[in-house]
Amino acid sequence: MVVLAASVLTKTGKVLVSRQFVDMPRIRIEGLLAAFPKLVGTGKQHTYVETENVRYVYQPIEALYIILVTNKQSNILEDLDTLRLLAKVVPEYAPSLDEEGICEMAFEIIFAFDECLSLGNKENLTVAQIRQYCEMESHEEKLHKLVLQSKMNEAKDVMKKKATEIEKSKIEKGKFQTSGYSSISGPRRSESGFNDINISSSGSGFGSGSGFGLNTESIDSFSSKSKDRPAASAKAPPKGLGMQLGKKTQKTNQFLESLKAEGEVIIEDVQPSAVQSKSVLPPTDPITVTIEEKLNIIVERNGGLRNFDLQGTLSLQILNQDDGFIQLQIENRDMPGLSFKTHPNINKDLFNSKQVLGLKDPNRPFPTGQNDVGLMKWRIQKMDESSLPLTVNCWPSVSGNDTYVNIEYEASDLFDLQNVVISVPLPALRDPPTVNQIDGEWRYDARNSSLEWSILLIDHSNRSGSMEFVVPPADASAFFPISIKFAASSTYSDVKVAGINSLKGGNVPKFSQRVQLITDSYQVV
Amino acid sequence: MEKPCTLLVHFDKGTPAMANEIKEALEGSDVAAKVDAMKRAIMLLLNGETLPQLFITIVRYVLPSEDHTVQKLLLFYLEIIDKTDARGRVLPEMILICQNLLNNLQHANEYIRGVTLRFLCRISEPEILEPLIPSVLTNLEHRHPFIRRNALLAISSIYRLPNGEQLLPDAPELVEKALSSEQDASARRNAFLMLCNCSQDRAVAYLLSNADRVPEWPDLLQMAVVDLIRKVCRANRPDKGRHIKIIISLLNSPSTAVVYECAGALVSLSSAPTAVRAAANTYCQLLSSQSDNNVRLIILDRLNELRKSHREVMSEVVMDVLRALSSPNPDVRRKVLDIVLDLVSTKNVDEVVLFLKKEVVKTQAAGESDKDAGGEYRQMLVQAIHACTIKFPEVAGSVVHVLMDFLGDSNVASAIDVVIFVREIIETNPKLRVSMIQRLIDTFYQIRAARVCSCALWILGEYSLSLSEVEAAISTIKQCVGELPFYSATEDVEPTAESTKQPHAVNSSVTTSSRRPVVLADGTYATQSAASEAAGVAPSVLPGSLSSIPNLRSLILSGDFFLAAVVASTLTKLVLRLEEVQPAQAETNKACSAALLVMVSMLQFGQSGFAPHPIDDDSYDRIVLCVRLLCNTGDEVRKVWLESCRQSFAKMLAEKQFRETEELRAKAQISHAQPDDLIDFYHLKSRKGMSQLELEDEVHDDLKRATGEFTKDADDASRLNRILQLTGFSDPVYAEAYVTVHHYDIVLDVTIINRTKETLQNLCLELATMGDLKLVDRPQNYTLAPESSRQIKANIKVSSTETGVIFGNIVYETSNVMERNVVVLNDIHIDIMDYISPATCADVTFRNMWAEFEWENKVAISTVIQDEKEFLEHIIKSTNMKCLTPPSALEGDCGFLAANLYAKSVFGEDALVNISVEKQADGKLSGYIRIRSKTQGIALSLGDKITLKQKGGDH
Repeated sequence: MVVLAASVLTKTGKVLVSRQFVDMPRIRIEGLLAAFPKLVGTGKQHTYVETENVRYVYQPIEALYIILVTNKQSNILEDLDTLRLLAKVVPEYAPSLDEEGICEMAFEIIFAFDECLSLGNKENLTVAQIRQYCEMESHEEKLHKLVLQSKMNEAKDVMKKKATEIEKSKIEKGKFQTSGYSSISGPRRSESGFNDINISSSGSGFGSGSGFGLNTESIDSFSSKSKDRPAASAKAPPKGLGMQLGKKTQKTNQFLESLKAEGEVIIEDVQPSAVQSKSVLPPTDPITVTIEEKLNIIVERNGGLRNFDLQGTLSLQILNQDDGFIQLQIENRDMPGLSFKTHPNINKDLFNSKQVLGLKDPNRPFPTGQNDVGLMKWRIQKMDESSLPLTVNCWPSVSGNDTYVNIEYEASDLFDLQNVVISVPLPALRDPPTVNQIDGEWRYDARNSSLEWSILLIDHSNRSGSMEFVVPPADASAFFPISIKFAASSTYSDVKVAGINSLKGGNVPKFSQRVQLITDSYQVV
Repeated sequence: MEKPCTLLVHFDKGTPAMANEIKEALEGSDVAAKVDAMKRAIMLLLNGETLPQLFITIVRYVLPSEDHTVQKLLLFYLEIIDKTDARGRVLPEMILICQNLLNNLQHANEYIRGVTLRFLCRISEPEILEPLIPSVLTNLEHRHPFIRRNALLAISSIYRLPNGEQLLPDAPELVEKALSSEQDASARRNAFLMLCNCSQDRAVAYLLSNADRVPEWPDLLQMAVVDLIRKVCRANRPDKGRHIKIIISLLNSPSTAVVYECAGALVSLSSAPTAVRAAANTYCQLLSSQSDNNVRLIILDRLNELRKSHREVMSEVVMDVLRALSSPNPDVRRKVLDIVLDLVSTKNVDEVVLFLKKEVVKTQAAGESDKDAGGEYRQMLVQAIHACTIKFPEVAGSVVHVLMDFLGDSNVASAIDVVIFVREIIETNPKLRVSMIQRLIDTFYQIRAARVCSCALWILGEYSLSLSEVEAAISTIKQCVGELPFYSATEDVEPTAESTKQPHAVNSSVTTSSRRPVVLADGTYATQSAASEAAGVAPSVLPGSLSSIPNLRSLILSGDFFLAAVVASTLTKLVLRLEEVQPAQAETNKACSAALLVMVSMLQFGQSGFAPHPIDDDSYDRIVLCVRLLCNTGDEVRKVWLESCRQSFAKMLAEKQFRETEELRAKAQISHAQPDDLIDFYHLKSRKGMSQLELEDEVHDDLKRATGEFTKDADDASRLNRILQLTGFSDPVYAEAYVTVHHYDIVLDVTIINRTKETLQNLCLELATMGDLKLVDRPQNYTLAPESSRQIKANIKVSSTETGVIFGNIVYETSNVMERNVVVLNDIHIDIMDYISPATCADVTFRNMWAEFEWENKVAISTVIQDEKEFLEHIIKSTNMKCLTPPSALEGDCGFLAANLYAKSVFGEDALVNISVEKQADGKLSGYIRIRSKTQGIALSLGDKITLKQKGGDH
């Protein structure tokens, strides 16, 4: 349905102007346009040519051809409309309808073409509208400029006033011979007036962009957003009522009846299937259990645990309603300080006695759909330092003109950690720091002025590691707080779904579980 | 894929713009000069210059400019420069433009904002886009529709980038929200299209929830709806019915474009007859309501497609299609007739023929005003009726009499069609014979054209059987020949003489100018008797002066002795038949002597010197033979004259019929599936488990093909055949090329190998072309390590069919020798065969083109092949052309052969070849191959090709 290109050629086949609306290599478009003059026959009463792959719709104007190159499926009626518009637009801009005229105004013509066809899609515009769009006369801009001008005038007035005041005060001060103090304060005030002007003239324009490169935070926000998305999209109105077209309905119904009779598969009032959105990992199993623990840790730089908070959730996702009549058998490690909270709809007695998650009303299924349903939460709060999955030690030491910073980590045996990132804030630097030794990889983030030490995987082979880097002398506190990120595929509580019982009998549907431990925030302060 | 090209501007090389001139103008403060300099810079860039130093100037002096035109030109500039380095990473200096773009996106002027948003659609580097995204999103809520439109477009194209989902994770939600509150038609369309492309389910949900309002939507949006439905339903969803409902409601849309699109969608959604019928009816309505020829022709194409797949449904709408004949455009009419003729069945043939008959009568009524067009149209109608009657002989009776009125038509071609039609009907439809002969005798005097005359005479001679008919025929002919003798001694003073003089003058001039060789229908190459051609012209030239004289007489007086010979043989035949049916011997003798008198007078006239030119030998012999025969008849001769003629005509008709059925059968054969084809079980398919691959979107494919992204992989064997060695093995640089010929371009994949132990610097592959070829890119310099190799690609544009030569050399420097070394490459010949493909055309068109085309190349045959048919095969194979001469005409062993070959180039040029071979006494073949074409290129290159290949035998 799109136009590939709009071009102006001379009758002899010279390409004067061509604007492509679809990506195609230069050789292709040149080839297409070079072939055109040969394809145009004389004495024909129609103005289109078809080749194996493309269709040219053209209109001769004096010594020129205006051409639309389209694919063969393109809608000829629409294309002709567009062509008519172009044929009106070109004479509007070109001083004369020949090679010279077009070449002179080539870019203006391309501007106009861009308005007529927005990325190859037809626009319903008149020549006057296109003129208006190309002239770019904006009332708002004028207004904006007026405001700007008046502000500048105002500021000038203020400045003059201040200047006279200063003069006055100077004379007075001169009288009292105490010029030292006020001669500073005067100009400073008028300067602040200038600052005002500057800010207003740029509007809010110079907002700092979030910059190049994907930093990890933005990725985080993306993934959390995409998790929220299904809930939002589920609100799309599930409308499925028949149409009210009066007589027409009957007609179309007849039409559909006859279609059916002829073997066309038609089911009429189907609910539009639930809107699917691309989640991070589209579930393929009918039942998915997600077990997630989030860590919130603050550690003192000299050792000692200031805060340890772990929050766990178990959530369930069921694709088909039929699979909703189930109970989950839970298993977990016995730990001090571990307490579970279940959803109000869950049968608490059953859970407390047998560790089985099931609904209070066994005749109701679990909710189904694309979104996760939280069933259970738990917290662990009191832990000692020894059970931290990862501890980081940072030793800045000044020697001569440099500060040597040694960092080491130690991981506990309980977990294999993935995607570990330790980011160390740095004092403002001109050059990236020199890294003398490192286990893993490092990256210097100039914008946030931090050094990122990343280790893809920590397992039994590298339970401890270290790095050393050198920066110009700086205070030791500049290297804190260090923030740490990682993920692991086993959890503290070791909550697992041991099995699923079907309440309705029959086959137990297949299920998959995802278990992960992630850091929400882990800082060394 | 190569870098896309977004705009082309003609660049006049005559005014070279210097880079520093441009730079100066850009640095200045004069806005007009700045605009001009920007334009020139863009043109230079488009022309292949790189101008790297200009970037900083532009960043410093152009970016801050307030002028709108400068800003817009700046966007063009940014559009065409390379934004990445050789390894695909974004150049660091691009960050400089980001700020400017950001400012533009927040500009007070709504048009600047809009244009910048549109520019973002053409950017594919996420690094540039990322910082701009928040501003793009805020523009979504701007109150000016121009901005919203373009913001939606920008979001759509950003989201569709490879990593677009990460840049704009919630784009579909935002757009959906925007769509629900949007009022501007174009913005709604853009939003809807965005959903269609990026989140089809959302689009469907929106559509279905608004299903009953769709007919009130603006047409732009409706188009997008139809497009979506077509896409969605290809997956054969269970809720197809709802979608079809929407389509049906849109069939009543006020916008014809939407209606057209709907009909197309309906056909692609369902193959059920009801749907197809609805589509066909819609097309017919459009056909009658649209007056634009383009639209009509394309709708007819669509109908033609429908005809191929849904015959039954289409034959119901034949009459609606026929109504389009009211269009005055011959192309439309021809297409209509083509479609209709194929759909004629026993059910509708009467109606169709009735309609055609009415149309024929109408052309007569239209009269003299548009003689040419009317004549051509009449000819088409006659041919159409002819075709109908061949299929359904029973309708012939109702039309043949009407058609016979046109025997005297001033348009010779349509008159010939009529007479050939009559000839065929009279043979195949014996019931009509009596009435037709009667009619022919009545209208004979009106016939003006010599060829029509001779054919009509043949019919009279052959099919006048009863006594009354024979007598009537003889008297008609006599009447038409007029008073005998043709001249008298006192010629000069008689009025008839002047009328003979006049055509004389005309004819002689015609004769000399028109004496050129022609190709006959069976492919024989003949020098046409100029007289008969001239005679064909004469009646139309001087109808007034000749109308008073009987037609045969005037034709013969103008020197058409071939016609005279036909008159003689017809009379002979009639007299012979009269002998059989006339009981009274005296009457027969009378008729016989009268006939002899006519013949003798004709001979006398031919030799008298009063004729424009003396009688030719063939005609003379023929007439003399007739005279002898009448004087001395025998049974043997009688049989030959009265029966064999008819038999051979019947045989010819049977042959023609046979060939047609044979072709039909061949066509039917093609459409059958191959034994090992996949069988598509529709009912299994419709449920589920369809991969996206199987649901290949044909619209999408179509687009891909159009942009040239879609190229079929040739099989490897033929690839390897095309490798050309460019340098020798002992050269310091070895090069070979693999040549791919696409339609309009040639791609050379050159592999270069450094065979030395030194590093070659500034190695450059310089190519030059001869013929209608043009090099697209400039050559680049490479450095080649010792014994390493490199692939270089070169694109060459072709603009006409012609043998081209690409030659070139490799230039390089080594570290120790400072001068440049050159290795000359072998020439690469681009074969014309890659550009022409076999095609067919009608005999008549072939001969017209033959007469019209100016370039002829005559190649004398010299070959080792001994058999003329084998030689023909060899030429056909080596030139990739199609033999137009039917195989039956080539049968038999007579020692000579003539055939016409035809092919068309990808550029639409015609290539005609005629072969005339004769076997000499010593067993060798001799003769000529003639090539004709409109352009010199084809004639020459094809000739060269044939000269090269005709030897045959050893390869």
